[in-house]
Amino acid sequence: MTTSLPDEEVMLMVRDGSAEMLGVLFERYEKPLFNFYVGLTKDRPASEDLVQEVFVRILKYRRSYKPGTNFRPWIYQIARNARADQMKKNVPHAEQTEAAEPMQAPANSLESDQQHAILRRALDELPEEKREILLLSRFQGLRYEEIAQMLGCQVGAVKVRVHRALQELREVFVRLERGAAQKSTAAGANYEM
Amino acid sequence: MKCEHAAEFIPDYLEGTLKPQDAERLEAHLESCAQCGKEIALARELTVLPTEEPSAALRTRFEAVLAAYEAGRRAGVARAQDAREPRAWTWNWFRSPALGFAAAAVLLVGGFLGGRYETNTNGPQSHDEVAALQGEVQGMRQLMVLSMLQEESASERLQGVSLSTREEQMDPKILTALLHTVRYDSSVDVRMAAIDALSRYGNHAQVRDGLAEALETNQSPLVQVQLIDLLVQLHDRNIIDQLHKIEQDTDVNPAVRERAQQAIAQLS
Repeated sequence: MTTSLPDEEVMLMVRDGSAEMLGVLFERYEKPLFNFYVGLTKDRPASEDLVQEVFVRILKYRRSYKPGTNFRPWIYQIARNARADQMKKNVPHAEQTEAAEPMQAPANSLESDQQHAILRRALDELPEEKREILLLSRFQGLRYEEIAQMLGCQVGAVKVRVHRALQELREVFVRLERGAAQKSTAAGANYEM
Repeated sequence: MKCEHAAEFIPDYLEGTLKPQDAERLEAHLESCAQCGKEIALARELTVLPTEEPSAALRTRFEAVLAAYEAGRRAGVARAQDAREPRAWTWNWFRSPALGFAAAAVLLVGGFLGGRYETNTNGPQSHDEVAALQGEVQGMRQLMVLSMLQEESASERLQGVSLSTREEQMDPKILTALLHTVRYDSSVDVRMAAIDALSRYGNHAQVRDGLAEALETNQSPLVQVQLIDLLVQLHDRNIIDQLHKIEQDTDVNPAVRERAQQAIAQLS
């Protein structure tokens, strides 16, 4: 029953005192938010802390949730703010873990795994702003409209940013792919997508 | 079609909102342009990148915080009934959206958390996790107390005051907020409850000074008497001059003046 309710109605119940309904939203958003943060930070423990922080903030700010507010942009807005606040507090830690993360694909993995690994690396090399818009629009599946609501800008501006980020992603990907092909002796290194 | 033109279409194409005739034109371009084709291919690949699973601890932490809310809700209702509040109040608390908020304020008793963790996890980090979780819940409770003290309804502020007394060690922010309540809260009940809550922290100079300042400004005889009682109990001799002023001030309620006179004798 409750699992078929739209996010917005569930959130209104949370707002009006049914804190336990937050569990439904946690169920729906735990994993997407976690992956959003892992994509941004490369840091699993930090990402879990951030997800927890998002749900604590929902409780804290729940009365600021107004009926008719699209829930997805709202929660991702909270998620972005939580991340921004964490960066202010803890920049060196974030950089450290980022550098420590092994980026190489295992040599014996399947071709598609390698391609995914290269795509991951290309994504990681993008500036955070571009990485974020791709994570939101492609990986998290937010509509441009929703991202525009979240960022407080025009839908057109979102599309322009998505495209610029895609352009840069392609450039980085091609560069990394060439590098990988030169290193690899495997015959299957030429990848057609 | 040139790439610049295609660029305008690509985002909508990816979202599936491009008009069919534009989509056809774009697709014709893609056949001859590897670069734009690659962009679209990569964009599609992004949607199927493998996802990662958060650890089970994330859910456990979330559930613990939520359980703290629920525990707080029950405690809040029980407390309201214990205090023999008028029925309407109790009912309002129960229905109030602030109550769930208040509920988060309640610290889980160590036994509950510890027990939960011992059954759910083993290994060396579980103690740290329990400590972290307790810290988290405690932080949340402080937050809730602070927020409840700002509530519009006196019953909710009262609830915030009573929740604050569950802390073993009072957070300085909460002390400050309670002192502010003693001085400025519009409800006599809330002011008196705050004085009660602060009575445990009389060893803090900040509390004694704050209470003395409140005595200076408070107009309610009930509150004045309670403040004098507490300051005498704390043996705060700094207030003797203030007590003399009260005793001699003919505008002050006679009962308060009498209490001031007694207090001077007690402290001298």
